[in-house]
Amino acid sequence: MFEKIREIICEKLGVSPSEVNMKTSLKDDLDADSLSLFELVMAFEEEFNLEIEDEQVENIETVGDIVTYLENIIDK
Amino acid sequence: MKIMVDAMGGDNAPGAVVKGSLLARDEVGVSIVLSGKEDVLKKYIENETKDYRNIEILNAEDIITNDDKPVLAIRRKKESSLVKALHAVKNNEADAIVSAGNSGALLSGATLIIGRIGKLERPALAPFMPTDKGFALLVDAGANADCKPEYLADFALMGSIYSRHILNIENPKVGLLNIGGEEGKGNQLSIDTYGLLKNSSLNFVGNIESRYVLRGDADVIVTDGFSGNILLKSIEGTASYIMDNLKKELMSSFRSKVGALLVKPALRNFKKRLDYGEVGGAMLLGVNAPVIKAHGSSDCIAIKNAIKQTKNILDSNVVNLIREALQTQH
Repeated sequence: MFEKIREIICEKLGVSPSEVNMKTSLKDDLDADSLSLFELVMAFEEEFNLEIEDEQVENIETVGDIVTYLENIIDK
Repeated sequence: MKIMVDAMGGDNAPGAVVKGSLLARDEVGVSIVLSGKEDVLKKYIENETKDYRNIEILNAEDIITNDDKPVLAIRRKKESSLVKALHAVKNNEADAIVSAGNSGALLSGATLIIGRIGKLERPALAPFMPTDKGFALLVDAGANADCKPEYLADFALMGSIYSRHILNIENPKVGLLNIGGEEGKGNQLSIDTYGLLKNSSLNFVGNIESRYVLRGDADVIVTDGFSGNILLKSIEGTASYIMDNLKKELMSSFRSKVGALLVKPALRNFKKRLDYGEVGGAMLLGVNAPVIKAHGSSDCIAIKNAIKQTKNILDSNVVNLIREALQTQH
């Protein structure tokens, strides 16, 4: 799960895998603005075939947040 | 070749959009798909013509209004005329999209659904401006308020290609909008961008102050979206101010009214030069298909011209040329 998420983040934000770990902040470390964040969200939705609520997107700060959130949805 | 037109976007939609689309179809033979409420669009089409050749309708029950927050609207209003049109382009059911609706929604939607070209970081909005030498392209006119020097270098590259193929300018002069002409002027963004452009293969002519933009000193004016938007609206506002007050003065006495009659044709020509509707719309440079933003208050002629411009863009293969150039760059 983390590997796939990292792959998508690297592709969409144009960063290298070494810059992405669980504690990486999307906004502060990877310079993602709100539009980039939604680009990521839509990519995750397509990859994992699920829907992410817009309100939840506001709670996403780190890569770890994404992994936890997606794992929770998939478990359900 | 099919062009998607968001029939429900703009102050004069759908009437002006339908009429403009039919005019474009008749003038340049382009195939158009109108997205919007089918029963409503059929009535508007039937008001104008019985000839349905090269006109299709993509039914869409919802509309993104100017009050909607752009990204949330794109996410939540999946049945809107704009979102359905963007998906049609993404799925290769059409080759390009024109919309006079919510700018933020079109720009966000194009980025999220149609997608950025390759590794390009930021697409940019590029309207034409009338100048003493014809037209200049302003990049970025408002898609990105905050920019890095690398973004501006990409804007310059894309703007040059667009200018070359659509305005037929062989070696477009690229100017960096700045508060002074000399190298080293401006904020850190300007200084750093100057360095990138100077070392590029583009025909970089240096900094250009806003007062010289309409003189045509450069064919491509490069700037961040915040400054670009201010420049564009300042010019629009000044032009309106001058035309309105000139009219008031001309109507203020018998003598000036006589003069007004004599200069009426000249004034009409002058007004036409400033009319955004005459040149079409603003292209969003850097996404995987032509996306054209027509002015919100577009009448049918402005819509017709935006569609004709889109056909030119498709015929010139501008998006693929930009893709190749960016691949070499990055």
